[in-house]
Amino acid sequence: MRRIKLAPRPNWQAEVERLGFAFHTIDGETYWDESAAYAFTLEEIERDIEAPTGAIEQLCFAFIERALGSEEILTKLAIPDMHWQFIRDSWQRGDRNLYGRLDLAYDGKGPAKLLEYNADTPTALFESSVVQWDWLEQAMARDALPAGCDQFNSLHERLIAAFGALRQPSPYRLHLTCVQNSNEDKGTVDYLQDCAVQAGLDARFTYIEEIGLLTDGRFCDGSNVAIETLFKLYPWEWLFRENYANALAGAQCQFVEPPWKAILSNKGLLACLWEMEAGHPNLLPAFFEGDPRCASLSPRHVRKPLYSREGANIELFERGKVLDSDDGPYGAEGHILQDAATLASFDGNYAVLGSWLVASEPCGLCIREDTTPITKNTSRFLPHYIEP
Amino acid sequence: MKRSTQIGLAAVGVVLVASFWPRGDDSSDENLVYNSLADCRAAGQLSASQCEQRFNEASANHLRDAKKFTSTSQCETEYGSGSCQSAVWNGAQVVIPALAGIMLARSFAQGGGAAQPLLPPTNQACPPGSQAEGCQQARSSSSSSSSSSGGGGYRSSSSSSSSARAYSTSSGATVIARAGSSPGSATATSVSSRGGFGSTSHSYSSSSSS
Repeated sequence: MRRIKLAPRPNWQAEVERLGFAFHTIDGETYWDESAAYAFTLEEIERDIEAPTGAIEQLCFAFIERALGSEEILTKLAIPDMHWQFIRDSWQRGDRNLYGRLDLAYDGKGPAKLLEYNADTPTALFESSVVQWDWLEQAMARDALPAGCDQFNSLHERLIAAFGALRQPSPYRLHLTCVQNSNEDKGTVDYLQDCAVQAGLDARFTYIEEIGLLTDGRFCDGSNVAIETLFKLYPWEWLFRENYANALAGAQCQFVEPPWKAILSNKGLLACLWEMEAGHPNLLPAFFEGDPRCASLSPRHVRKPLYSREGANIELFERGKVLDSDDGPYGAEGHILQDAATLASFDGNYAVLGSWLVASEPCGLCIREDTTPITKNTSRFLPHYIEP
Repeated sequence: MKRSTQIGLAAVGVVLVASFWPRGDDSSDENLVYNSLADCRAAGQLSASQCEQRFNEASANHLRDAKKFTSTSQCETEYGSGSCQSAVWNGAQVVIPALAGIMLARSFAQGGGAAQPLLPPTNQACPPGSQAEGCQQARSSSSSSSSSSGGGGYRSSSSSSSSARAYSTSSGATVIARAGSSPGSATATSVSSRGGFGSTSHSYSSSSSS
């Protein structure tokens, strides 16, 4: 694993906008950063990223089985009890999942360590799937990189295949939704809708605020069309607590991600996985706050709210002193403590690897960089390639 | 190879093709649409001459296959106002629906499959003033362009319904590129409430995604 400095394409903004990438710059700061790229060997990708990602996914499935049978665990995860059966049913039915992203600490030297699992509403998808793919093709075409480079990135074709297989019979009608006034979320959903259309689906967008409830208990879109399958870029923990929460179970709707993803998209997962497989090479020691075993953690550790997005409310401690933190609105549901991992660090930048799964198959990589050890929503996205 | 072999983005009318890939491993029938020669060239993944060849091919097929009218008004009755152009067919002056775009099967990138001409949607599929967005897209761009010039690719819109554009084929079938939220089949139920989701995001400043 190396960080290679490269000259950005002179017209890189136009090149990425051509693909429909609208948020390469966020609040005046570069988000898509091609002034450098990360280079991996194929062995690093397959042995250190791809295989552990698949192994962790299997471990997560085993944990779901355990959690669904344990009121204690579901309570610790702060999942409202009125939704437990709804979640169990989705797992028993085998509701399929579309995608997720494991955030890993990896510097090429030791095993990758799981920082968290964005199992429910991951973004950075379009830039992972399309923009960095096109970047590599162009870099090879203009000899900035040698021909024969590759990339861990079959996201696009996997997403199309996965959409076709989410529900039978296929093609089916799919609604996609996200909140208003978020370019990043809308960009992600636009891309997924494009994939769904290419899978032959009747794909329709509606903002989450437009969703209505029909008299027969089903949800409907802004045009009053009943929603049968819903991709929602909106977290389960919020859906579980809003006005329509008690309509979820009776809505005759197949949700993507399925309700059982609520078990995984929760930082409590990290403590629970360590409980199941203490010493696993790809896990960091982690406990729920208040567990006496927290005393066994390294003096350098991280405190994370159970529900947190984009680094919000995460604090990095070193011997009782806060080294870095990010403010935010989360934390009321409790916290976990987790040993701090050694992030890859090059030229004053800290890198976190995002390892993608589509339909639970590892199939892509993205890298986000920050100048501090907590990856936030201001972090920059850097492309990667596999050396020939 | 650990990356996708080809990336098609219907929304911006782009086909990206990996510089090499194993052949014959996928025969799915995805289709991609370019609205104009300029779109095809701007996409930059096909060479300019390939774009031209595909459009010439489609134009020739179009002229051969399109329904011929003797007057613009007859044609517009079927295909909508501003959707027609004059042409010469077998030495006779005729009016035909304008070429609204071309559709390429995925297999074209591997050397097979011809470009299929796309026509404006029929008035039957998109009556004048239709609120279905695929129709609005088609009407607004077809009235400002003719043949294979101009038009531009369609992009995702900022309105609540999705971006889509309707076309028809020479045989009269309706093609919706990137499906939109046109009103679906009528249901016997009615809406009892709206707006029961989304409140949490509005009380938080940070994103709902990660």
